[in-house]
Amino acid sequence: MKYGFRRTMAWAHGWAGLVVGWLLFAVFLTGTLSFYRQEITAWMRPEWRPGPAIERSLAADRAEARLKTIGRQANRWLIDLPDGRDRAAHLAVWRDPGQAPRFQREEFDPAADRPVDARRTYGGDFLYYFHFDLQMPSIWGRLLVGLAAVIMLALIVSGIVVHVRIFKDFFTFRPQKGGQRAWLDAHNAVGVMALPFHLMITYTGLVTLMFLYLPWGIDLAYRGDRAAFYAEAALAQSPPAPTGKAVPLVPLGPLVATAEAHWGLPAGRIDVYRPGDAAAVVRIHAADSSGLAHRRHQIAFDGTTGAILAVEDGRPAGIVRAVMYGLHLGRFAGPTLRLLYVVAGLAGTAMIATGLVLWLVKRRPRRQRLIEGLNVGAMAGLVIAIAAFFWANRLIPAERAGRDDLEAVVFFATWAVAAVHGACRPHLRAWTEQLGFAALLYGGLPVLNAATSGRHLGHSVAQGDWMLAGFDLAGLAIGLFLGWLSLRVARCSR
Amino acid sequence: MLALIGLAYAGLAWLCLAMDRHHRQVTGAAVGAAFARSLRLAGSVALALSFAAAVAADGWSFGPVAWFGGVTAAGLALVLLLPYRPRLAVGLSLAGCLVAILDVAAGALLR
Amino acid sequence: MKALDIASRVGAAVVGGYALATAAALGATALPGTRAEAVQIGIMLGFLAYAAAMIWAFAARSAIRAWAGLIGPAAVLALIGWIGAS
Repeated sequence: MKYGFRRTMAWAHGWAGLVVGWLLFAVFLTGTLSFYRQEITAWMRPEWRPGPAIERSLAADRAEARLKTIGRQANRWLIDLPDGRDRAAHLAVWRDPGQAPRFQREEFDPAADRPVDARRTYGGDFLYYFHFDLQMPSIWGRLLVGLAAVIMLALIVSGIVVHVRIFKDFFTFRPQKGGQRAWLDAHNAVGVMALPFHLMITYTGLVTLMFLYLPWGIDLAYRGDRAAFYAEAALAQSPPAPTGKAVPLVPLGPLVATAEAHWGLPAGRIDVYRPGDAAAVVRIHAADSSGLAHRRHQIAFDGTTGAILAVEDGRPAGIVRAVMYGLHLGRFAGPTLRLLYVVAGLAGTAMIATGLVLWLVKRRPRRQRLIEGLNVGAMAGLVIAIAAFFWANRLIPAERAGRDDLEAVVFFATWAVAAVHGACRPHLRAWTEQLGFAALLYGGLPVLNAATSGRHLGHSVAQGDWMLAGFDLAGLAIGLFLGWLSLRVARCSR
Repeated sequence: MLALIGLAYAGLAWLCLAMDRHHRQVTGAAVGAAFARSLRLAGSVALALSFAAAVAADGWSFGPVAWFGGVTAAGLALVLLLPYRPRLAVGLSLAGCLVAILDVAAGALLR
Repeated sequence: MKALDIASRVGAAVVGGYALATAAALGATALPGTRAEAVQIGIMLGFLAYAAAMIWAFAARSAIRAWAGLIGPAAVLALIGWIGAS
């Protein structure tokens, strides 16, 4: 029976892994890059040089003044304050039905006291959103990624059962043995070394979208009134009904200072409901960097007097949820811990990649043309498409209308071309060529940056601008790695 | 953070060396029972110290997260280095200890 | 026949698993404490139930048992939630 169980699990692990592997590879790779979302955005907007960091209360005052100009007749304003990695404040405005526009957003430079003046690009946000909604319409992408994530959880558990020797073979990696043995070792090594991360990131990923995936408990307990649940759990508020009486909004800067003094933590987000109305409420959230739990601490103020209405620090289950959320985003991580997140994320990506290759290697010498083609297109193709997205960012003129969407088109078009190429060429040739091409694209990123922005590596390193220099250096390192990989595959195919 | 990673690497390297297969891989000879026991003890102590270093540096909320990350990164480095340069892979454990001592000493001096 | 067995198990894993996850989320609303807390606990447990259900769907000795092992507990959990709510 035990043997039977392991054999069944091995069978299911192999086939389920194949079916969702390509999608999970894309989710893991773009998700891992999302830990550097702000850095990627900074590189993709080279003309914007943020001013010096300023006091958060001053930034809040300036954002408030800006919103009074662009956000009239709003039912809600949202201000995400700048932090160490992102010097822009993110402003958003919502209006009641019947008023236009219903939603608008702006990136605002509080140091310069004016909107961010840079080329239009989705920047790192493109990869971040892709990793959970796949740029699909409505919620289809999110549902697909959610189902893949549950399967991933089951795959991790079944993987431990199938590769039960992983703990005995904890440090075993025998590349010199070649073939199936080497791929299996690699799959197990990256799987077991980062096992806590794999479990954490997959489960917490589900938690980030949990109210979308399983809302039925809310509907039962609140008799269909989801807004009541969100308000009670301090997750989201509905704007109060307007009184129609105009009362000027209380200055936000002093409220930020009050909240920060109360917590001893920096503030990160300001929500203003019914600004300029007698019913106005201001909610201030502690910054994402202030703890594991994501948006746990918040204080609600009366928007006309500045009096404290409520201090919310969460209840146990809500805090557990917030910690899961925070762990997934890793926004609290400083530079070193962020790098460790990325290393573990790459290990996860490599675990999926080696698993997909292993599926083919196990069935040799029988050839599986379809799977071979899909492997190249889904993995090497995506790696190329991401690089093409960066190249498009610098090669499409900065003033061109609709350039942000064009960057996305380049991403998908490149991916499609790579997929066709992967399906048509002999398998190992396809790998060699695509990895080699990707190596050139990534290795060339510093050159591209120097040619199109004047903020080349020599300049950024001398200025101590490690955000920009880090991107260029990472491009070089990835290029070298992919080049080495391409040569290795080329040697195998001879 | 350096102390955490250095100690985690050292701890994993010693636990690894205590396993017969890897001891052969590094030295060519089987590992003695007593030596293996002391290696396992030293390795466990180093891993425990790396956890302490993580909590001391980052507190009880971020520290454990950093520890898992550090052990993962150290383990990946070890496992990738081992087949190609087995002696260097184990030798680096001493460098890891040295880095940890320097990191702690620098922290104490700067305080 | 083999193909039908596999298709049935895949169905049990995806659909039956979601039913069990939903039922876990519903059942947890009967937990003591505030409603908002119970709801959140239920969803977080629901994902674990879903992953476990997927493994069960393939580990069970037959497809029928796979379905029964999911629908049975799901019905009980949903009933608990329904009684708790009324």
